[in-house]
Amino acid sequence: MAQEARADFNEKLAARGVSRRDFLKYCGSVAALLGMSEMYAPQIAAAVEKGALQPALWMAHGLCTGCTESMAQVDSPDVPTVVLDLLSVNYWETVMAAAGTQAEDNIKATVAKGGYVVIVEGSVMTGDGGNVLRIGGRPGIDELKEVAANAAAVIAVGSCAVDGGWVAGKWGGDTANMVGATGVTKFFADNGIKAPVINLPTCPVNPEWVVAMLVDVLLMGQLADGSILKKLDDKGRPKLIFGSTIHDNCPRRGHFENGEFVVFGSADHAAQEAAGWCLYKMGCKGPQTQTNCPLVRWNRRASWCVEGGSPCIGCGNVDPAAGGAGNWFDASAPFLSRLADVRLPSVGGVQPATIGAVVGGVAAVGLVAHGLGSAAKGRIKGVPTEDQKVFDAKKKGGDK
Amino acid sequence: MARVVIDPVTRIEGHLRVEVEVDNGVVKDAWVSGGLYRGMESVLLGRAPSDAFYVAQRICGVCPISHGHASTMGSEAAMGIKIPNNARIIRNIIEGAEALHSHILWFYTLTALDYVDVVSALSANIADTYALAEAAGTSTADFGAIQKRLKGFVEGGQLSIFTNGYWGHPAMKLPPELNLIAVAHYLEALEMQAEAAAIIAVMGGKFPHFMTSLPGGTVWIPTEEKLDDIYFRWQKVRNWIANAMIPDTIAIAKQYLDATTYGKGCGNYLAWGVYDTEGGDPTKRIMPRGALVGGLTPSDPKPEAIKEYIDHAWYTSGDALNPAKGETVGKFDAYSTDAKYSWVKAPRLDDKPMEVGPLSRMLVAYVAKVPGVVSLIDSTLAALGVPGKPEVLLSLLGRVGARNLEAMFVADEMGKWIGELIAAVKGGDSKYFVDQTGEGEGAGLWEAPRGALGHWVGVKGGKISSYQVVTPSTWNMSPRDKNGVRGPLEEALVGCPVADAAKPLEALRIVHSFDP
Repeated sequence: MAQEARADFNEKLAARGVSRRDFLKYCGSVAALLGMSEMYAPQIAAAVEKGALQPALWMAHGLCTGCTESMAQVDSPDVPTVVLDLLSVNYWETVMAAAGTQAEDNIKATVAKGGYVVIVEGSVMTGDGGNVLRIGGRPGIDELKEVAANAAAVIAVGSCAVDGGWVAGKWGGDTANMVGATGVTKFFADNGIKAPVINLPTCPVNPEWVVAMLVDVLLMGQLADGSILKKLDDKGRPKLIFGSTIHDNCPRRGHFENGEFVVFGSADHAAQEAAGWCLYKMGCKGPQTQTNCPLVRWNRRASWCVEGGSPCIGCGNVDPAAGGAGNWFDASAPFLSRLADVRLPSVGGVQPATIGAVVGGVAAVGLVAHGLGSAAKGRIKGVPTEDQKVFDAKKKGGDK
Repeated sequence: MARVVIDPVTRIEGHLRVEVEVDNGVVKDAWVSGGLYRGMESVLLGRAPSDAFYVAQRICGVCPISHGHASTMGSEAAMGIKIPNNARIIRNIIEGAEALHSHILWFYTLTALDYVDVVSALSANIADTYALAEAAGTSTADFGAIQKRLKGFVEGGQLSIFTNGYWGHPAMKLPPELNLIAVAHYLEALEMQAEAAAIIAVMGGKFPHFMTSLPGGTVWIPTEEKLDDIYFRWQKVRNWIANAMIPDTIAIAKQYLDATTYGKGCGNYLAWGVYDTEGGDPTKRIMPRGALVGGLTPSDPKPEAIKEYIDHAWYTSGDALNPAKGETVGKFDAYSTDAKYSWVKAPRLDDKPMEVGPLSRMLVAYVAKVPGVVSLIDSTLAALGVPGKPEVLLSLLGRVGARNLEAMFVADEMGKWIGELIAAVKGGDSKYFVDQTGEGEGAGLWEAPRGALGHWVGVKGGKISSYQVVTPSTWNMSPRDKNGVRGPLEEALVGCPVADAAKPLEALRIVHSFDP
């Protein structure tokens, strides 16, 4: 970067009450989030220094607003930095000042200029001709088609936007789910929309990932040169974030290895939980859920699901290509049971035949497939079936 | 007559359209349309009650705790479970943390931009701003730096989330210095709502969508370290509410006293009550249960007296049913304010529309003479120059103020609950969960920050056999019923002044006062 440009940028920072030192520190935290060395901080800084704020549109579809709520919890950088200094978020229903006509004008002006990124929150609602979600007096999907057609990139935040989420879940009784919830990937494929899609599942989305992607994709020029796409897996998810399972990084992993499990509802439950034992036997979906929750944690690192005492419910298990058919609710429930019919991680080369051969202890098979506590190594003998209660054989203390 | 449409209504949870008929600068009629149908009740059928706890929260990402608790309580009622005392206290603290989070977020992030002119803050005199903050008894910040940051941002020409706001609108009445104070606290509020949410994260794994209040009790087990953590987070939030949010509310209210003259609405108020006392009797809650119909005389609301009407909503069966036997079968035909115009049903209690929310809870508590509520309301009325006149609360300004006063009340109560939990743990009570199943039907009648909430649950053979939800926004945002009677928000909009039909800011204030 030319010296003059840098000086100009420093003035802009100063005008906003941000010192260059603070700015580089911030870039360092972004680098850390991305799993990169802080050595990359100057490169991120250079990317950010390019000038005008990146325009963005945050679109609300079949949502609970939990992903926006989740974004409000981020502090690295904090929300004011994101919406005032990093992006120009010209449309974001939950927090924007304008309403009605004035709000819709913001969309039109941004789309006309081009070069914007779209963030989609909530399921894409196709049921009843798209009328199960009406925005501005028409089906919400009509608006989505318009903003997506000209977008530089689309980030689907939260499992609903990725593949429909729980909204696509099977309805009880004889009724077919009529709301037609699907995800951005499938909706774009069905409607010939070519904009590149980055999928950030979980329910809600972890805001640290959103910030990381915004910086990585938008500010480092990786969208323009196409390099971002090489960093995504076959589900459109950034490999850095979704390349390992919760079980891989779980702080309670040692207790798993020791056979120390919390037994749900038992007399010793409280004592076992206070000691931080493993929740696998409560139905934890950590072994088949690919996110880095144990590392990034939630709510400014205050805690995360397993630390709270609950098994992981697999809210990040998605299947974007399948649309609603792959939603996490149907894939992971009943949450407090170990399942016979679950989706295993694509890493580790699991063969369908292997899955079919064992009924009952499929999550345990996932572990074997992972090479984690592999039966071949004799660490967990004969793991594959639930009936053998192999964990009981290894029990220590209060595991009854 | 001019038809004015606000669609989308922004700064709310979800999708809402409001149409008003304006004549001579005053709203004569109104229609409120909910825009989204997801089918949660149908998705939960046939699932385990614990699955319903985890997923029913996804009805609302701003109040998932309340939905989680109402779901769990509904299942517990159906299965005949009584939870341990420790679980009761823990649920109260988590619920209280959500109320603080939600009220802070609502006042500063969602509704303040209806009253605070961000652009006007640029012309504030810094010395005068400090003087005003001191006179108002509200906390100070580095006002100069904040104004400078704002200036740099505005001069950059890209206004981001502030683009196209109602800046300079004739209904904006705050002096520049008070606008600057409010902008400073708008930024601080983002910190404080996150701090309150972090209490939930510690006790529930994360927020939004927590993990721990399963049917039977709680799976969160307090340790000394965790109790320490929540205590200090609570103290920080509580002090900020006392030292910034409450004095801000009074200072801003003084500039908008005309808002006590309109926005009353249907004048019927319902609260199921929230925050259980020992024993879990729903008629003995800390925020009490009660109904006020057409005046300030309390009565006990009977859940059996609820009926949901679908004359003006896009549903095809289940008209005039009680939620315990309710059906939800959606089918869009056409949008018409003369026929069907909403995805929201019209619930009625004894065939009357009922307003729910902090105003309803605070009025019910005031009439029931809950000491902390009485002193907060009486001192606020005195500060605004209307001592002894609680009837001024039945208005737009009353609805706004009641929410913030409730935040103060809950913040103070929460301190007691944390003490109660520490005492219970020290006393050796180690029971958190009851491992029990059963069958039957029950209801979790509770309160979300934005009002009375009910989950009606049937459990058979370990699975959910029936599920119906009536949310606060179903009550408040309801369309007309079979008799053509308007819903609470529709009624509150009638009589609202609108200075500029192209920018219906005053109508937006009324919509936001319900926190949809």
